[in-house]
Amino acid sequence: MLARRTLALAALGLLLSFLSVYPMAMLLYGSLHSTPPGMAGEFNLAGYRALFERDNLQVMWNTVGISLAKTVLSMALAVLLAWIVARTDTPGRGTLEVLITLPFFIPPILTATAWGMLGNPQVGSINLAWTWLTGAEKPLVNVFSWGGVVWHMMQYSTPFLFLFIVDAFRAMDPALEESSRMAGASRTRTFFGITLALMLPVTTSAFILSFIRGIESFESPVFFGTPAKIEVMTTKIYHLIHHQSQPQYQAATALAFAAMALMFLLVVWQWRVLGGRSFSTVTGKGYSPNVMRLGRLRWLTFGICVTFFLLTVALPVGQLLLSSFFQFFGFYQRDMLTLDHYRNVWASREVWRALGNTMLLGLMGATATMVLGGIVAYVAGRTRWRGRRLIDALAWLPWLMPGMVLGIGFLWGFAMLPGWMPLYGTLWALLLAYVALATPVAVRVMTSAYAQLSFDLEECSRVHGASWWQTLWRILVALAWPAFAVGWVLAFFGIMRELSASILLYSAGTEVLSVVMLKMWSGGKPEEVSVIGLFMMVLVLVFRWLQLVLIRRRISTL
Amino acid sequence: MDTRSPRAPRRAVLGAIAAATLAAARSAAAQTDAEWLRVVAAARKEGRMTLYTSGVGSTFHKDVGRLFEQKYGIRFEVLEARASELRERIRSEQVAGRFLGDVHHNGATTTALMLADGNFQPHGGIPNAARLLPAYVADDVRVPSNVQSYGLLVNRNLVKPGEAPRSWKDLLDPRWKGRILSDDLRALGGGSVFFFVMHDAFGPDFHERLAAQNLVFSRDIRNDERRVARGEFPIYIPQLLPYFTQLKGLPVDFIVPQEGRPYVRFDLAVLRNAPNPNAARLFIHHFLDVESQLVYANAGFDPTMQGVVDRASLEVRALLDTKVMGTTVVERQNAMLELAKRIYK
Repeated sequence: MLARRTLALAALGLLLSFLSVYPMAMLLYGSLHSTPPGMAGEFNLAGYRALFERDNLQVMWNTVGISLAKTVLSMALAVLLAWIVARTDTPGRGTLEVLITLPFFIPPILTATAWGMLGNPQVGSINLAWTWLTGAEKPLVNVFSWGGVVWHMMQYSTPFLFLFIVDAFRAMDPALEESSRMAGASRTRTFFGITLALMLPVTTSAFILSFIRGIESFESPVFFGTPAKIEVMTTKIYHLIHHQSQPQYQAATALAFAAMALMFLLVVWQWRVLGGRSFSTVTGKGYSPNVMRLGRLRWLTFGICVTFFLLTVALPVGQLLLSSFFQFFGFYQRDMLTLDHYRNVWASREVWRALGNTMLLGLMGATATMVLGGIVAYVAGRTRWRGRRLIDALAWLPWLMPGMVLGIGFLWGFAMLPGWMPLYGTLWALLLAYVALATPVAVRVMTSAYAQLSFDLEECSRVHGASWWQTLWRILVALAWPAFAVGWVLAFFGIMRELSASILLYSAGTEVLSVVMLKMWSGGKPEEVSVIGLFMMVLVLVFRWLQLVLIRRRISTL
Repeated sequence: MDTRSPRAPRRAVLGAIAAATLAAARSAAAQTDAEWLRVVAAARKEGRMTLYTSGVGSTFHKDVGRLFEQKYGIRFEVLEARASELRERIRSEQVAGRFLGDVHHNGATTTALMLADGNFQPHGGIPNAARLLPAYVADDVRVPSNVQSYGLLVNRNLVKPGEAPRSWKDLLDPRWKGRILSDDLRALGGGSVFFFVMHDAFGPDFHERLAAQNLVFSRDIRNDERRVARGEFPIYIPQLLPYFTQLKGLPVDFIVPQEGRPYVRFDLAVLRNAPNPNAARLFIHHFLDVESQLVYANAGFDPTMQGVVDRASLEVRALLDTKVMGTTVVERQNAMLELAKRIYK
């Protein structure tokens, strides 16, 4: 038994190492060597020494400040929205849940363009309306600013955090809250002292993931920060790689490793915060989710959700939808009305081929990622096996490296594989990269779900004669199924949007949708990108609807 | 392991260029019709050709590829990536012994750096290269394929006809302070070409004064054109001429200042150990055919071949007939990028 377990752990470790350590090792080499792999050069610390230059310190400060601001604000908003949807009698909660998560799935470049049109200080629609209404000379908003960067990032991090938190709220046994109320605590005190405290594994995981995503965010700072002379780590890395006559891989990878070290400290901090404490809220005892009756206040909570939807979805997406029927984005003249963009996308052989590849990779990648993530989370969180921490850390690694740098690691890694491993240039290379990139989220989602399950459920199953696999399947997987579904959707759409690795690993015939969208964008066809973006949103609605229907059916049969 | 220097020092670049030019003269002389027919037959036998291009999102190479497929029955595949990504990808593939691409299509500067890195092989002679315009010279490895040039984009609702800049120096007029949207002059691309050419034409003082105009930098080029069209800014610099031709119907004008248009030449070259070398050679020849060149000319690119501009559409011809101003030089590019960073902080 021990030998089989050791063998299985070793295999898991090897797989994760191939997906994360191998490309990282390539990048580490790049950060310590004056040239990329395969070129003559020398080992030195020039890249790391440059980190302490004043410019770079300022860049790091900007990065941490922006990411922290957006994560704190998004977290507060996401907790509020998740509580409203999962634990109150706010009208239309099912629909609101789908609508609130929509912004996460819209390509950031599209919403950035839409917000550029809505909130630019000269001719932005919001500012024009403001000056017309008030006669003010100064604009109301300027999206090309620090606040603009934070606001645009929040549109992605709030639904991302919401997706993490909402199921944890739903899966919580209200007995503890009821006990608190019976002991005389107020609703507010119960919310902060019991509800939020029990959510600590989920909220800290989600906070860290979101904070790290903020550090790695590219579209918002490049679009709204660059014109305001705000530089962050990703825009600096992009500059070092793409804007020099000789790409500065050493400096770029060193900067990425510095960011990674910072983020790793955060992860260690989380381990220490949560270590040794129990957060189980799903036990063998039956319970029914407690819904708070808000009375007339429920219309206020309804209003909060609708306002969020209007601001983050209706406004920018309305602009996209409208623009998709005009010859040019933002020019709403009658003589420019057209259906050409829909026709062009429909008739494009490349789009259909990319869609086929993306669907295949998304379905396979999301499923493989969630299976891998479920296993890693189980080993790391539900066992006392030696090496479990290492397995957890290996799965985390890809999340700590900015995508555009990790993409280079995959390129170097897959290209340098021996001839008998012909992955390079195939769909398999893309699949492996996607699994590596999505695994950290899968592990976090499943870890948080497992953390809420009491150990007595497993023990009970084993005592009654179920095997280890039966227990895993019938107890853990069955109870963590809603989280699995959420993770699957996150992984699927993460794969659908992934560009950094895709652009370096695709080859003629294996294009994916994100690459085709980049080509269209660079080719001056934002209207056609909008059409694909809208199609993706329809897909999201279908997936989310199916997911919620299935979760409800599953919960009702538990 | 490849042991070539990564920095492509000036001597290496110049050496590679000189050797390629000498060999070109020899191979052109040795070309005969019978030999070329054998190349065409061998290309058909190879049956496919893969182009690696930095023209991300461009439809023109695809149109040229379609013509190639129709004419020769050879399957055309294309891989598009941004210039730096393409370069690193080719380098990694070749170091690892994976030779997947046949023809490389990129700006002359990147091509020169890659030539020094040994990423190409001699094409063996291209018959159409004999009809290149005198300004463009092919060598044993590189064949000039098309030229993209830059001017000014102005919003005609915000800039009255009499106010529009006529010279590049008119950008220094105080009325444009804080009102010029610009590609980043400190970064590789159109911005650095503009910086380089203006520096050589007017000296560093021009840039010191232009920096005082508080240019607003943005790198989202295709969206920036629209921002000017929507009236966010009256002027955008530097505007790529081929992109302007796609803005028909919007309230913008393309202005060629009296000093002319800065430009960048694009080159074609056969990648080292190309799996389909004959098809690669045939494709380069086909790219220089009049019908292929017309695809580019009608889109606003200067063709590199004789007898093409005269056949281009009247609208484009008027713009292509204006003079060109200057371009970048690979050996001074790093120094210019550093200078730009110092001036435009």
